[in-house]
Amino acid sequence: MKKFYSVPLARGLVWLTIGLAAGIAFVAGIRLALGLPAASNYLFTEHAWVFGGVVGTLAFLASHGVMSDWFKWWRGQETSDHHDDPAGWLKYLGPSLDHKVIGIQYTVAALILLVTGGTFALIFRTELSFEGQQFLQPGQYNTLMSLHGMIMIVSILLGIAGMMNYLVPLLIGAPDMAFPRLNAFSFWLVVPASVWLLLSMPLGGVEAGWTGYPPLSANPSIVGPQMFFLGVFVAGWSSILGALNLIATVVRMRSKGMTTFRVPIFVWAAIATSLISLTATQLIGLSFQMVMFQRLFGMGFFDPAKGGNPILFQHLFWFYSHPAVYLFILPGLGVISELLPVFVRKPLFGYKWVAMSSLGIALVGFLVWAHHMFTSGMNEYLRVPFMYSTLLVAVPTGVKFFSWVATLWKGKVDHPMSTAFLFVVGSIVVFLMGGLTGPPNATVSTNLHLHDTYWIVGHFHDTLFGGFVFPFFAALYYWFPKATGRRLDEKLGRWHFWLIFPSFVILTLGMMRIGLLGMRRRIFDYDPALGFQTWHIVLTVAAFLIAISVLIFIINLVQSVKRGESATGNLWNSRSPEWQVPSPMPAHNYETPFEVVGEPYDYGLPGSKYVEFVKK
Amino acid sequence: MEHTTDKKSALSQGVIIFIYLAILTALEFGIAIALPNVVLLLLVAVIKAGLVAYYYMHIYRLAREDAGEDRDSYAYRLATNRLGLWLFLLSDSFVFGGLLISRINLLGLERPALNQYLGLFVTAVLLISSFSMNRAETSIEHGDKKNFLFWLGVTFVLGLGFVVGVVGGEWQLAKLEGVIASRDVVGGIFYMMTGMHAFHVTTGLIFIFLVWRNGRRGYFTAEKHWGVEAAAVYWHFVDVVWLGLFLFVYWL
Repeated sequence: MKKFYSVPLARGLVWLTIGLAAGIAFVAGIRLALGLPAASNYLFTEHAWVFGGVVGTLAFLASHGVMSDWFKWWRGQETSDHHDDPAGWLKYLGPSLDHKVIGIQYTVAALILLVTGGTFALIFRTELSFEGQQFLQPGQYNTLMSLHGMIMIVSILLGIAGMMNYLVPLLIGAPDMAFPRLNAFSFWLVVPASVWLLLSMPLGGVEAGWTGYPPLSANPSIVGPQMFFLGVFVAGWSSILGALNLIATVVRMRSKGMTTFRVPIFVWAAIATSLISLTATQLIGLSFQMVMFQRLFGMGFFDPAKGGNPILFQHLFWFYSHPAVYLFILPGLGVISELLPVFVRKPLFGYKWVAMSSLGIALVGFLVWAHHMFTSGMNEYLRVPFMYSTLLVAVPTGVKFFSWVATLWKGKVDHPMSTAFLFVVGSIVVFLMGGLTGPPNATVSTNLHLHDTYWIVGHFHDTLFGGFVFPFFAALYYWFPKATGRRLDEKLGRWHFWLIFPSFVILTLGMMRIGLLGMRRRIFDYDPALGFQTWHIVLTVAAFLIAISVLIFIINLVQSVKRGESATGNLWNSRSPEWQVPSPMPAHNYETPFEVVGEPYDYGLPGSKYVEFVKK
Repeated sequence: MEHTTDKKSALSQGVIIFIYLAILTALEFGIAIALPNVVLLLLVAVIKAGLVAYYYMHIYRLAREDAGEDRDSYAYRLATNRLGLWLFLLSDSFVFGGLLISRINLLGLERPALNQYLGLFVTAVLLISSFSMNRAETSIEHGDKKNFLFWLGVTFVLGLGFVVGVVGGEWQLAKLEGVIASRDVVGGIFYMMTGMHAFHVTTGLIFIFLVWRNGRRGYFTAEKHWGVEAAAVYWHFVDVVWLGLFLFVYWL
């Protein structure tokens, strides 16, 4: 028991439970003392659950050890920047300050949530394969569908944070992030956030979809939405603080000679992403907080009966949530640009344009949010400007595609292709499908028809798989040897790719087809007369094939950590600094600092050099 | 106005800026009562925010390049810390930006029934606390520990007075005037905006208390006092936010 308690994660979860109970008891006690009802259908009133959640979050963070250095600062003590991590895998359960450990923590947490959210999708996908009710209640269906969305979003946030945390300091030659304690703190916020998200299920579930629009999400008969909002709010803070840290790191800690246009493309993408998460995330936090307060205190922000405006919620919500999709895909697109030149042995075409296109997507992304609201009843004169701003996003995105195609042009690729390269090419194809299906949604006339159909579901799954999931897998196959000194198995990797790629294409094309024919999204059942039965069976089979491929990947991952083929050298023959030192990376990164002396992507140019290690 | 480094003129610069702020606030109040012109009010508020950001929050220090090349030196880390803090403030200002937009969206240019004189009073208290914070920071920059602790204590008391004035005074008076959180959206937005700001002031008070306690133990010196600077910049930020909220809650 004592040993169990000494593991920081376990200790934190114990205190999270104690904090939750104490918070609930406090509010319930006060309500009893004031003569107000303290019990509800879900044991206690939502005031008690929310306050318990807040106390539980603080109790987790305070007891876990991630704040212990700050507590010392508050007492006026100095602390060292380097803590000794416990040996072995235990360090991944504790408050390590090493950005590489934190990067792996993020990545593993992202995979855990990916599997959780994927399982939810499989369950409701199975329900949908036949007309009529199969085995789920409508409320359960709504909950699984809503949480699939939000858990996948949190998973993506963790996945990009994992890549950025692990790679950015290595790529710019920094010993660590600018604020290592804040970095650990950002990660550990995610644990309570995930607990609250999942706790919403037994407390009545979430019926309003991942967007949580009031008035449906303000339905007082269930407590679930409150825990859902609280979970997203806490996860949002993780994202904000991580972004702050990353921007400060890139601005202040680049190695010598790494001028603005010699920064690796992935770092540009990370900066663009972080600018969005630093600022816009506050707006989704605020909008969710306002619904929480509407539920708790009857403040009628979004309640027309009290003079409120439900459309306002949608504006605040999408001001984050549309830029957020660019936030999800930009690091992935950065991975594609980073890996392509290595595999085709050619310079990256149009480096500066690619770098600027990331910033361009991020900035234009702030001006497009209302295209989600063409049918919502907002002022009609807003439609056309938002249509044009949305179509404008295609320009910087097109720049990226031109660069990829021109980089691939006449390149020589090794045979057989490595899995990482397969995933890079796969993401370009899938993201192209997602990109091309975008403009019809942006155009007002077609949007009015397509809004809330399965077409939209197919479209955004294409963008998110092409922009995040596939590049994420590519990055894992590519940088796994850097983290472990071993390779992922290539044979299993090819199984993974050749299962997931065709089934995914069939899945989304099928979704778009029945969407065009009138299949609505987020519904529990459909009219047999529409004739979608066969398609829904095909979609379900494709979804299960994707699940099997991910299972193969996880088996591969677990096996290769211990028994993978040893790979300590420059496996991909890359010019990037992290591959010039042996794998796995030593604890404090580069023992001798490097200086940037050339262009980053001059592959195939004889005599060109990117970095030079400074002899002490 | 030039930036001065010797103690006496640095302190008197704080006084002059405070006088400007006081005059501008009086002018703003006059405009708001006599001829409510939104553009004029916004202009004055922006000038005030600019004065605080430049002279009290020293935003120009972000652009300073004198931190040297040694990444482990105190000066280099100080510059990184400053950037981190300002990024946080940028992020935080989006919360208040969202609140201001919600207020306009929900209430238009309707003025809630609030006690104007109490509003002016709490604003004055917060502005004076910004001035005393500036004096505390300037004192420690010159190694004057005694005055540093004194003015920090004054800031704490004034900040506490502000919270009491808003939560204990304004909220109770507003309730009597019919501005009630659960009645309609006017009450909702009023308590949300002032509550969010009061929450920030409270965190600032905790921060000031920790700095004051560590300062009493001699933790800060003329060379190393990032904790004081961070507390001061955060406190002035909360002040700047109030300049905006004051306009949007009481006057629009």
